[in-house]
Amino acid sequence: MSGTRRQAYGARRRAPYAFLAPAAVLFLLFFALPIGYAIWLSLHRIEVQGLGLGSGARSEVWAGLANYADALSDSELLASAGRVLGYGLIVIPVMLGLALLFALLLDAERVRGRRFGRLVIFLPYAVPGVIAGMLWGFLYLPSVSPLHYLLDRFGLPAPDLLAGGPLYVAMANIAVWGGTGFNMIVIYTSLRAIPAEIYEAARLDGCSQAQIALRIKIPMVAPALVLTFFFSVIATLQVFNEPTTLRPLTNSIPTTWSPMMKVYQDAFRGGDIHAAAATAVVIAVITLALSFGFLRVANSRNRQEEAGR
Amino acid sequence: MTRRIALLPTAALLLGALYCLLPVAWVLVAATKAGDELFATFTFAPGTGLLENIADLNDYRDGVYWQWMANSGLYAGVGALLSCAVSALAGYGLAVYRFRGREAVFSVLLAGVLMPPVILAVPQYLMLAEVELTDSYPSVLLPLILSPYGIYLARIYATAAVPADLLEAARMDGSGEWRIFRVIALPMMLPGLVTIFLFQFVAIWNNFLLPYVMLSDDEKFPITLGLFTLLNQGSNSPALYTLVITGSLLAIVPLIALFLVIQRFWSLDLLSGAVKS
Amino acid sequence: MKLHRTLVTCLATTLSAAALAGCGGSDDGDSSGSGPVDLSYWAWAPGMEAVVDLWNEANPEIQVTVREQAAGDDLVTRTITAAQAGEAPDLVQAEYQAIPTLVSNDVLADISGELGDEVAEAFAPGVWQQVTLGGEAVYAVPQDSGPMMFYYRQDLFEEFGLEVPTTWDEFADTARALREADPNRYLTTFSANDAGLFAGLAQEAGAQWWTTEGDTWRVAIDDEATRRVADFWGGLVAEDVISNEPMYTPAWNQALNDGSQIAWVSAVWAPGTLTTAAPDTEGLWAMAPLPQWNAGDNATGSWGGSTTAVTNDSEHRAAAVEFATWLNTDPEALAALVTEGGVYPAATAAQTGDALAEPPAYFANQPDFYALAAEIATGTAPAAWGPNVNVAYATFNDAFGQAAESRGDFAAALTTMQQATVEDMESHGFQVAR
Repeated sequence: MSGTRRQAYGARRRAPYAFLAPAAVLFLLFFALPIGYAIWLSLHRIEVQGLGLGSGARSEVWAGLANYADALSDSELLASAGRVLGYGLIVIPVMLGLALLFALLLDAERVRGRRFGRLVIFLPYAVPGVIAGMLWGFLYLPSVSPLHYLLDRFGLPAPDLLAGGPLYVAMANIAVWGGTGFNMIVIYTSLRAIPAEIYEAARLDGCSQAQIALRIKIPMVAPALVLTFFFSVIATLQVFNEPTTLRPLTNSIPTTWSPMMKVYQDAFRGGDIHAAAATAVVIAVITLALSFGFLRVANSRNRQEEAGR
Repeated sequence: MTRRIALLPTAALLLGALYCLLPVAWVLVAATKAGDELFATFTFAPGTGLLENIADLNDYRDGVYWQWMANSGLYAGVGALLSCAVSALAGYGLAVYRFRGREAVFSVLLAGVLMPPVILAVPQYLMLAEVELTDSYPSVLLPLILSPYGIYLARIYATAAVPADLLEAARMDGSGEWRIFRVIALPMMLPGLVTIFLFQFVAIWNNFLLPYVMLSDDEKFPITLGLFTLLNQGSNSPALYTLVITGSLLAIVPLIALFLVIQRFWSLDLLSGAVKS
Repeated sequence: MKLHRTLVTCLATTLSAAALAGCGGSDDGDSSGSGPVDLSYWAWAPGMEAVVDLWNEANPEIQVTVREQAAGDDLVTRTITAAQAGEAPDLVQAEYQAIPTLVSNDVLADISGELGDEVAEAFAPGVWQQVTLGGEAVYAVPQDSGPMMFYYRQDLFEEFGLEVPTTWDEFADTARALREADPNRYLTTFSANDAGLFAGLAQEAGAQWWTTEGDTWRVAIDDEATRRVADFWGGLVAEDVISNEPMYTPAWNQALNDGSQIAWVSAVWAPGTLTTAAPDTEGLWAMAPLPQWNAGDNATGSWGGSTTAVTNDSEHRAAAVEFATWLNTDPEALAALVTEGGVYPAATAAQTGDALAEPPAYFANQPDFYALAAEIATGTAPAAWGPNVNVAYATFNDAFGQAAESRGDFAAALTTMQQATVEDMESHGFQVAR
């Protein structure tokens, strides 16, 4: 008897490793190794002999931290980080606010058109980034945009959406449009996981729908909100598609508008994978610091709340 | 309890829906326009060329478009399924068991999303080239199976949906760990898993960079890459905009269909039902 | 290099252990031994498959498979990456300005040994020089070229009493005259989103951006000729007599279609673009030689154009060269390239051949379109490319984009372009003359 129990205990101890094994193997092969390789690349550079033409003219040599020094002192990278910060300050609050609002509406009683809303708000997520950029670009250009057409009809001045401050709004709008549905579904799925009887008690206490949403639902989906925030921060720091597709439409978006465009520019246009790798590592480390710092704060907050209850 | 319609919230929801729908409506309208109408007529004025555009798309290089569509379906379908399985296993393992290094493993897996895919693609290519796997279906499938998002979601869903005492009871009955997972936990996690499936499916369907780096045989291209080649035909031939727009519209259709199917799982309310029993 | 190997081998072993039998990788071009030779060919020109089919039917021993790719600067990097992994195709379509970059990365094979001597004769010296980089080696066979021309709305020029400008001074006057006659129209635009156009204009003025002396590169992007071009366009933009909006946007299409812009400095392939951009104005356009810096000259630059190159990874170099030669010099192949791909062939004989006897459909009103084009092409100034054209082009996009937007200093933008290009080369260890 005790033998089988010990056996079961052993199986139970080994079980989590078995469950995690496939993920771990894939992680090693397709994340850890390439990341290691990228770091290796970031510590090297190409050196050219002579005119650099013909075979053997290029060799890969140790560069130490030179690529990192270049990346950190690159004014373009700093400028792009500033732009992305401004962009993120618009995107993240608006997108997550809307996602939470719509998720609560979808979960609320007495709201009509929920099935329809769920499908349609999610729909933009299914539109590939390039196409999304293309079609919003259409809607932004003064001479073809229906918005400008309408403004013109009413004799209102039409803003240039692709320059200066409005550019940030225009860019953020594409991200909000494409990302709200995804985050809405994440939050909505967690809302559906809240057991119904929790609401019953609240209803008996005479709470209104709005009060239930505010006092019960939002705290209950806090983990999902943390998750969506975490991923939104990462997506913002890695923003690439929207500015890339809008770029040909205007003179105001440089090829290094966002840090990720700079990485792509170096790696795929300039052919300098070593510099690109260093920049990417810098971005990854900053993202790491930001997001895990936030997670820590969020977790300690949660714990405090739990302790307070 | 009254069954009145809540007007304000309903209006807010419909407004949101309208905002999301407008540009999609544009694709729909644009797909009806013939080449000479696309840039020339008012944005929301429907054109006359939808069937022609579809026929053109169908004729383009002996219907390679449908091959791309099938490839995308294969990459996204198989990839999302495998990804879902791996996420479910890992998420369940992380949610249910307490073991040394649990949080560390979790953090490391999550940290995978921090490294920009742009910079991973080239090392992945060079490594797969060593084993002669580039320009093949697995070269696009394999790197996309592991999804940190999926694992995170699966863990949250497993924590929320699978009650610990139920598992304990099953163990008392002498069930093995694998059996408990398969018979008890998996059905409870199902609504969460279909969500993960949906996300991964869309993410792989819309992925561009990895296939772009990995593939050179255009018969293995997914739809995003195929449409990209239509947009970049070199400086002496204009982009095939009408084909791209019609192609994008048709590419959204399977995703909508998938979404409609998956919607049904959310309404089953498996989670709360399970808790009650 | 060692760690790289270790990492890679580590992955290789793990993956082989996973034994993904049956879904193995590429089978391109490694069919050594007897039997027909298989060549893979990365190309983006539409209709290339149909042309290659002609070859495949006539040459059962050398079968070519076209792998349709997306054109663009990124393809150069992809080709380099593939070559690094030993997976490059036998043949690639490469733009002229990409050749030094590809050669520098050891992707392209020197085919001077396999190539017949008569091949060089088939092309204008200015074109041929771009595939030899001025040395003994030959790195590609020219395919198409893009001599630049001036396109204008014949009907509107008449309506506003404008003369077709033959010099750049006249061009500036025409732009001003149009603005005075109708402030809602521009002659054309200066667009910062395609550096190829600017490079072509600089070539016409006599610019040689990259040249070599012994083991040293000389970068002359801010030389006098280019500065002249930059100042000229910068002045017109600052004066607001030409537009500063980018090309190839829906707004630009509309401007061409509704006559808000009535001319376009472009290249021989412009009819294809105009067909989709300005469908309502078919038959109203005409083509003339590019305005000149010195009255009476016949100079022009190139915008676009590509070659067929053989890679070092190819195990069948002779067969690949044979195909590349056929594709770009054989009358049947060239005729097919013209009809199937809308290509303007680089081979001199083909430019006046039967396939180009008729004008493009959009220019039916100008029956001598290709005769005039061939005449213009004889004045094509040689282009000189270097190993980091992409960096120079990207800097052009950013610096001139900003300058155009603010209607500001084009000369400063040109200096930025020169500096960024030189700095990039120096940071990689190239010897650059200062």
